[in-house]
Amino acid sequence: MRAREPDDTGYAVVDGVRTYYEVFGTGPTTLLMMGTFPVVDGRQWKGQVPYLARHFRVVTWDPRGNGASDRPTGPDAYADEVYARDAAAVLDATGTDAAFVVALCSGIKWSLLLATAGPKRVRGLVAIAPGVHPLAPHPHPLQTVDQQQWCGDFAGWVDYHSDVLLPEPHSSKVFEDLVGWSLQTDAEVIGARTHAPLRPATDDETIEMSRALTCPVLVLHGSEDTCQPPERGRRFAELTGGQFVVLDGVGHLPHGRHPVLVNTLIREFVDMHTTRSPQRSAWLFARERKRRVLWVCSPIGLGHVLRDLAIARSLRERVPDLEIEWLAQPPVSGVLRANGEIIHPASAELASESAHWESEATHHDLHAFYAFRRMDEILCANYMLFDDVVRETPYDLWVGDESWEVDHFLHENPERKIAPYAFLTDVTGFLPIDPDNDPREAELCADYNAEVIEHLDRFPYVRDRSMFIGDFAELPDASLGPGLPRVREWSERIYSSVPYVVPFDPAAYRRPAALRCRLGYGTGYPLYVAAVGGTSVGRDLLELTAEAFALVRTEQPDARMVMVTGPRLHVDELPDVEGMDKRGYVPDLFEHLACADVAVVQGGLSTTMELVAARRPFVYFPLANHWEQQHFVAHRLDHYRAGVRMQYAATRPPDLAAAMVAAQRSRPAYRTVRRGGAAKAAHQLATLLRR
Amino acid sequence: MLRSAGARGTVGPVRAREPDRSGYAVRSGVRLYYEVFGAGPVTVLLLPTWAIVHSRTWKLQVPYLARHFRVVTFDPRGNGRSDRPSDPDDYADAELVADALAVLDETGTDRAVCIGLSMGGRVLLQLAAARPERVAGAVFVAPALRIDLGLPVPARWVHPFEEELDSSEGWAKYNVHHWRRDLGDFAEFFFRELFAEPHSTKQVDDAVGWALQTDPETLAATHRAPFLGDGSGRSEPTVSDLAARVRCPALVIHGSVDRIVDHRTGLALAEALGCPVEVFDGGGHCVHARHPVRFNLLVRQFGEAVAGARA
Repeated sequence: MRAREPDDTGYAVVDGVRTYYEVFGTGPTTLLMMGTFPVVDGRQWKGQVPYLARHFRVVTWDPRGNGASDRPTGPDAYADEVYARDAAAVLDATGTDAAFVVALCSGIKWSLLLATAGPKRVRGLVAIAPGVHPLAPHPHPLQTVDQQQWCGDFAGWVDYHSDVLLPEPHSSKVFEDLVGWSLQTDAEVIGARTHAPLRPATDDETIEMSRALTCPVLVLHGSEDTCQPPERGRRFAELTGGQFVVLDGVGHLPHGRHPVLVNTLIREFVDMHTTRSPQRSAWLFARERKRRVLWVCSPIGLGHVLRDLAIARSLRERVPDLEIEWLAQPPVSGVLRANGEIIHPASAELASESAHWESEATHHDLHAFYAFRRMDEILCANYMLFDDVVRETPYDLWVGDESWEVDHFLHENPERKIAPYAFLTDVTGFLPIDPDNDPREAELCADYNAEVIEHLDRFPYVRDRSMFIGDFAELPDASLGPGLPRVREWSERIYSSVPYVVPFDPAAYRRPAALRCRLGYGTGYPLYVAAVGGTSVGRDLLELTAEAFALVRTEQPDARMVMVTGPRLHVDELPDVEGMDKRGYVPDLFEHLACADVAVVQGGLSTTMELVAARRPFVYFPLANHWEQQHFVAHRLDHYRAGVRMQYAATRPPDLAAAMVAAQRSRPAYRTVRRGGAAKAAHQLATLLRR
Repeated sequence: MLRSAGARGTVGPVRAREPDRSGYAVRSGVRLYYEVFGAGPVTVLLLPTWAIVHSRTWKLQVPYLARHFRVVTFDPRGNGRSDRPSDPDDYADAELVADALAVLDETGTDRAVCIGLSMGGRVLLQLAAARPERVAGAVFVAPALRIDLGLPVPARWVHPFEEELDSSEGWAKYNVHHWRRDLGDFAEFFFRELFAEPHSTKQVDDAVGWALQTDPETLAATHRAPFLGDGSGRSEPTVSDLAARVRCPALVIHGSVDRIVDHRTGLALAEALGCPVEVFDGGGHCVHARHPVRFNLLVRQFGEAVAGARA
């Protein structure tokens, strides 16, 4: 899923060759995100577009030879002058008289040519790692695709080329993106571009064109750039009278690897050089400010919001003058609104995480780690929104419940932290699902864990509180990766533990018979309840459960089942079984589970832990390939000696029927869920708000 | 209420930043004391305001701004180390504009980003309109302009200035006879009105100390001087005429609870100039002294934007 879809798309045509462009947002100031060497397409700016489009009109385009643009043949079709004409054609096609240009590497030459042809068209230039070759020699030029050793091995060259551009550790996702874009083209195109006619062609011409550039210039250059030596950036800044910013320890792709920094620099630069429409901004004298919290609540599952509401209620009792604003998206924002909470208006601009997760799930299978990894663009966009929000309003505290985007990017950019920050989670590491058959997954999980460990060790001040929801014994005792600590040991060092937060008082559910009467079920027969969450992912599991229940009936003829299909599945899509009542929706679903003799559910943490607290027998199916459900939730339930875990792929109807009947005859001897989790968490937050 | 320490609160011997150069600009025999701090291509001129205080009112700005710009300050005629002519006409707005130009000349400053506070904002508007080539950018802080906004008459104009009054309570202290009897008492009252924010005792003490460095007759002369919008009926441009002649980037800064110049005046000026306005919610008349960090950052940002736009 993309974090931001374009508002307009189209093609600009030069000599019959089509160049694909996309337009995002509106406003008097346009940013043209220049194409570059065609190993990438316009998506290389994915970390920039959602943020910049909040403030400006943004145009991206795929350079000919990649993406959705045409792939003509021969070096002449890939000349610098031709690319500059493509850029001008994109400006024409999008009705853009003039734009600030953001360019990388070869794109800087095209920007120079664009400005030479029409000086008024370029209002300003952000030059990232300028590829102005004649300005400084390259001590070790990169290997070209047509060199002997890469003959017939384009993929090999792409690996090599992508690798040298990214010297920073923990760059695996940017690397993978780059490889993916490069493989959209071929050796012929890259070879043609490599031998294309150059402009500016000589030292003198480069110097002359750079000096002639009249617009403001900002040059960003990584000190570890192996593609363009930083000296080129320095010289280019000198010749254009521009500002030169060295990014220490950074490679050739700062916009990909360090998006927050690059985004804020671009915005500041453009703001500085545009006369903004007269505006009124206010700064409130500190002693006049209300005590205010910004609460970022993860939209993955509804468990987070219910526990956050419980903690927030308890926090308000401790800090009565508190105002809480929530940065949250559906379905979480709906629950918050129904509870009378204030949703920050910028929430409407959050890129959808829920839609991303749904797009990733199939057949009771969600590879949660890879899905999370592919959410990088959404996480960056949503961090940038957060960054804007906390600079518009002063908050006394930021609370993030599994606010992974806030946590990651604050540690990557610790200077962006301007308020106390508390982080809550019930999962403390990435554990591979299938290390034997998928070594890449194991390697990536370890790399992610290593990065988080480094982050927290190096910048302990970023988080003022780290709370693990549950007891440490509820954590799996697995290794975070080769040479890394074990989950439990590391978590004990980093987090403070608060008891699991159940959003109700378990004492109220100790008498299932009374509850059954209140809900109209009556007593004296085995009652089974099946519910698999609100998405269509659960369909396969419901079908399996229906078949199993038919078998249960042969042994327990008076047994009944309530099957809750959720809003995405119509009851008619499921088979009819004697004694089974299918319902699309029931209010307060949990009460129905809490009076069942046996519940059949998915492996989500909230529902299963509510069953533990209510002491009901249950059979649960963790989503296949979901590291959190397979490792963290499963281990936690084992700790409580609760639930019968089954794997969907290995379960036939008779297996499930047997498990259901056995569970119905069992007497739960669960470990008790400690009480007071919400109060304990609220106490910790309150210490950050008042003395 | 804490009693002001008056003169005891005046400047100690140690300043956070000493000037790199100081001297006098002389106009028609009147000497104006200036100070220059730091170096660099961009100069910030911190204009004087009403002569009840002098250039030390900028003491919380100078050390920081001088790290980033060349900074010039000068004492107004009537206070500090500048001369104190006695004729009210010597304090007319035109003279104050000419003083600023004289200091720019004397310090070798072609152009400057100028910051005008209160009365200094009124001077700055006339300076920027008359000599746009000398003003690279203009920051108006709580500008004391008379714009017809239907606002109530400022309290300080309610009581007759020249007449002996029965009362010396409140704004009745704004009276030449009272000044002659007890200038410190007036000053203390006046600066408590200026600093509307709680916990402003040091700011009040400082300002009272500076007020006591001038004298009642000089201050009375400044009061009697003609100024833009004084209602004397002579022909002069309006604020919008002047605003239309300003060509440089501008910024207005105004405290929302300013009891001396209603902050709607600042909003109106910003609208006339078509420039941004930064409101200090809960801020009084002298936000530069009471909220120096926010103020300094804004000025630096503005100065850099102006410098960047010229580069």
